[in-house]
Amino acid sequence: MEFLLQLVLNGIVIGSIYALVGLGFVIIYKSSSILNFAQGEFLMLGAYVCLAIFTTARVPFAAAFALTLVFSVVLGMLLERVLLRPMIGEPVISVIMLTLGLASILRAVVQGFWGTDTRPYPDLFPSAPIMIGPLPVSQGYLYSVASVFVLLLLFSLFFKYTRSGIAMRATAFSQQVALSMGISVKRIFALAWSIAAVVSAVGGVLLGGIRGGVDGAFALFGLKVIPVVILGGLDSVLGAIVGGLVMGILENLAGGYLDPVFGGGVKEVAPFVALVAILTFKPYGLFGKVKIERV
Amino acid sequence: MRCGDFRESYAEDMAIFESPVSRWLLALLLAALAAVPLVATAYGLDVLLRVLIAVIAATGLNILTGFTGQISLGNAAFLAVGAYSTAFLAGRLGLPFPVVIPLAGIVTALAGMVFGVPSLRLKGLYLAVATLAAHFVVEFTAVHWESVTGGVNGISVPAAKLGPLELDGDRPLYFLVLPLTALLLLFAKNLFRTKVGKAFVAIRDHDISAEVMGVNVFRHKLLSFGVSSFYVGVAGSLLAYQARIISPENFPITLAIDQLGMIIIGGLGSILGSVLGAVFITALPELLRLATGALSDTFPGLVGLFAPLKTGLFGLAIVLFLVFEPDGMAARWHTIRNYWKLYPFSY
Amino acid sequence: MERTMRRIGRCLAVASALFALGAQAQEIKVGGLFDLTGITSDVGKPYAQGVQDGVAWVNANGGVNGKKVKLISVDYGYKIPEAVAAYKRLVADEKVVMINGWGTGDTLALKEFVNKDRIPYFSASFAGDLTDPSKTPYNFFVGPSYSDEIRAWLTWVKDDAKAKGRPPKVAFIYFDNAYGKAPIEAGRRFCKESGIELVDEEIVPGNFQDATSQLLNMKAKGAEYAYINITTTGVSLVLKGAKALGLSTKFGSNPYGFSESLPAVAREAAEGVTGVMPHVPFGENVPGMARVLEFHKANHPNDTHDALYVRGWAYALTWTEALKRADKAGKLTGEGVKAAAETLENFDLGGLTSPVTYTPKDHRPSTKTPIYQVKGGKLVKIAEYDMPRKPEWLGL
Repeated sequence: MEFLLQLVLNGIVIGSIYALVGLGFVIIYKSSSILNFAQGEFLMLGAYVCLAIFTTARVPFAAAFALTLVFSVVLGMLLERVLLRPMIGEPVISVIMLTLGLASILRAVVQGFWGTDTRPYPDLFPSAPIMIGPLPVSQGYLYSVASVFVLLLLFSLFFKYTRSGIAMRATAFSQQVALSMGISVKRIFALAWSIAAVVSAVGGVLLGGIRGGVDGAFALFGLKVIPVVILGGLDSVLGAIVGGLVMGILENLAGGYLDPVFGGGVKEVAPFVALVAILTFKPYGLFGKVKIERV
Repeated sequence: MRCGDFRESYAEDMAIFESPVSRWLLALLLAALAAVPLVATAYGLDVLLRVLIAVIAATGLNILTGFTGQISLGNAAFLAVGAYSTAFLAGRLGLPFPVVIPLAGIVTALAGMVFGVPSLRLKGLYLAVATLAAHFVVEFTAVHWESVTGGVNGISVPAAKLGPLELDGDRPLYFLVLPLTALLLLFAKNLFRTKVGKAFVAIRDHDISAEVMGVNVFRHKLLSFGVSSFYVGVAGSLLAYQARIISPENFPITLAIDQLGMIIIGGLGSILGSVLGAVFITALPELLRLATGALSDTFPGLVGLFAPLKTGLFGLAIVLFLVFEPDGMAARWHTIRNYWKLYPFSY
Repeated sequence: MERTMRRIGRCLAVASALFALGAQAQEIKVGGLFDLTGITSDVGKPYAQGVQDGVAWVNANGGVNGKKVKLISVDYGYKIPEAVAAYKRLVADEKVVMINGWGTGDTLALKEFVNKDRIPYFSASFAGDLTDPSKTPYNFFVGPSYSDEIRAWLTWVKDDAKAKGRPPKVAFIYFDNAYGKAPIEAGRRFCKESGIELVDEEIVPGNFQDATSQLLNMKAKGAEYAYINITTTGVSLVLKGAKALGLSTKFGSNPYGFSESLPAVAREAAEGVTGVMPHVPFGENVPGMARVLEFHKANHPNDTHDALYVRGWAYALTWTEALKRADKAGKLTGEGVKAAAETLENFDLGGLTSPVTYTPKDHRPSTKTPIYQVKGGKLVKIAEYDMPRKPEWLGL
């Protein structure tokens, strides 16, 4: 029983970071119908940039973190302007490929600058575990789950009450209608990419703190989050959260119970198998909007 | 004087070779390629073989993605199926290559059709992700079905054999791969002059309209998965014969992405595009390797920078092509050729 | 890293320029297959630098009987296909006389090629499979085999747990690849033979980020000791994860997960961890270290090095000796170098590692296996075991 609980708990922790990165996917998809395969690279870049600012500029970590967020906003806007805008009206596969190309470039930049060694992260969280009932939980995990949920709450409020948030939802609903209401769709796109870069950077820094180091494997999170967002439905914020938690737990249960049977590897493949099974019955994910096509 | 490219009948419009000149040029190119082993270094021949194999695989992917509009991230997995089938058929059963290669293609075609079933309900991104799942399932199988695949250690593949004839090494193998590539390209070119090929294109352009016009969409989608995977399976089989040892590491997800890159850079829905793209994406890292290799005596640090440079250059090529020439190299080639065809009376 | 590379670059460039004036024909080409960017690059890079520096030192100190060694380095990213392609190029076009390789997977994949082409292949993989010359006549390594290492560590476990008065419970944690699995069968058999209870085996993928579910499983099975057969970065993740879960298991690691960089990366989680160290830490007070330190001071005094770097040196010194002997015999060919290597008997590396012996019947260079422990962030030698050369352990 304790074993099961511990697995679920670990699933929730990992799942909350999936949810955070998934949120980035969903925000971009909602406003511009682009699936950003470079999301994992955003996460990795954020973690590296924060560390680089911290170690070279010798500022407090909080300041380095704030600067990283500024960097992410600028990066998002820049990418949107230079790369994504020319792609408006191109087929889906071209856009997918563009984000894959972007992912390659970002990976190369990180590897060129920082190499492939694991760079040690400063101790963000105390290392002694806290006991929740019988379960020892690392404090870093608790902080990250808490910050993930604060962020998710903030975004829900943002979409509901702020001008920009409402404008983004309007753009997602129909670009033409949004344009005719005087909303600058280009500005909304830039905003979406900035937000996506920011949430990924937050995820990257949290992950760096939990792991105690950052390396190129952080980029794999992008690939891991794809089943999450597809499961939840590409255009649903709620879906990203539910999908993240479900996949995190599923992955850990598969790791705990099936890996010993198969000799490893089930943890990695289980999310994809579950995904195909679910897509067979719900082709637009759990919470995705069903598209009705007409000739 | 005829100063233009006039097509006066449907037959002319659908001809494989637009003019006798292009036919001659192609024959010349083939002859030149056939003569390459006489002059090439071992390394050059190795690269050329990999280019030809990539051409076959990219053509297969283009049939599915470029002509039928079904995005697939499962190409590396299909290559793996073809390669492992070859390891089994040639290694375990000791069959000769004229049997092994088509059989590997057929096995892969069947696998492709199984993974194509979700395309009945899934479209666009959702289908892309379902094929991504196929990739991970195949990878898992390759790692864990050790009795057939050899697991993570990989499995050796014997040289391609037919009776006393043994194609041991790149040089003899080249004379199998080159004609096979030419044959498969010819078949692909012809495919899109037939009813089936035109149905593929109709599905790509608008599947619902295609259905309204009487195309059985599901059947043709599956058929497209089948034909495409057959090509990829043959490529996988040749890859196994060339590498002589295959392991799951031969088929990473980045390989699938490379192949999508080939058809994007070459040109979606163009046989010529598959060829140009495959040449470009395979040769690019090799040129880079030559460059870093030549400079590494003076800058040994370059050896370690090769990998990031390779990744970055690939990404940069993709991004630049998409932004500046979204229709690919094939389209650019046609523009250039048409300009010279009418030169100097290009108005 | 880059700075060091550049510096090595400069001195290599100077060396090679000086020597290009002399005679191009007096060059011995050797291939170097290294992992500088793959999943084992954390340990692959210091090793590669060690080999390159060792070669530079040999070239600066008389070379191979006056001939210079030209090491052609390739980064294969720990990918078998890349290694096969690079191998073909090195052998067919560069015509190298031998190769200094790296990983287990690629070395095993290439073993048939090197046999056919008669290319002596010194790789950094200590896989027991490579020690039987009747199967792999051209494969060599420098140090005790992975199998002897796991046996030695298990022997230490037995000694450590004597007070308990019952068999200790041991788990293995290893990579899902040829390297990870290399010593496992030997370990299993040794446990059975010597009354150690093997309670669990956990497999982690090559680029894992989180080993919690594996560690929980191990905890559920009640493992008191665990041998980690992965590389430093992964070991550090496992140790940190174990600390976060409050596990009391005593961890040990194979030589690619245990060096000075382990306490640097894992910090307090590394405290008390044991590890097999066939090559001494950098700067250890042994006679053979003098030339290493001298080279280090002359070329890159500000860099930090570790036992992996020393391992690279040990390799370079060993195979250049084989080259010297082959050259003296007038047989600077693959076959000649292999035969020359097999004349090495208790070849002394000044304590960088145990003396090296190869015979035509046995390619186990040495069976002495030191065990170190992290104490206060430093590596301290706590035991050394000499595993017997049992005939049934050859090739296992």
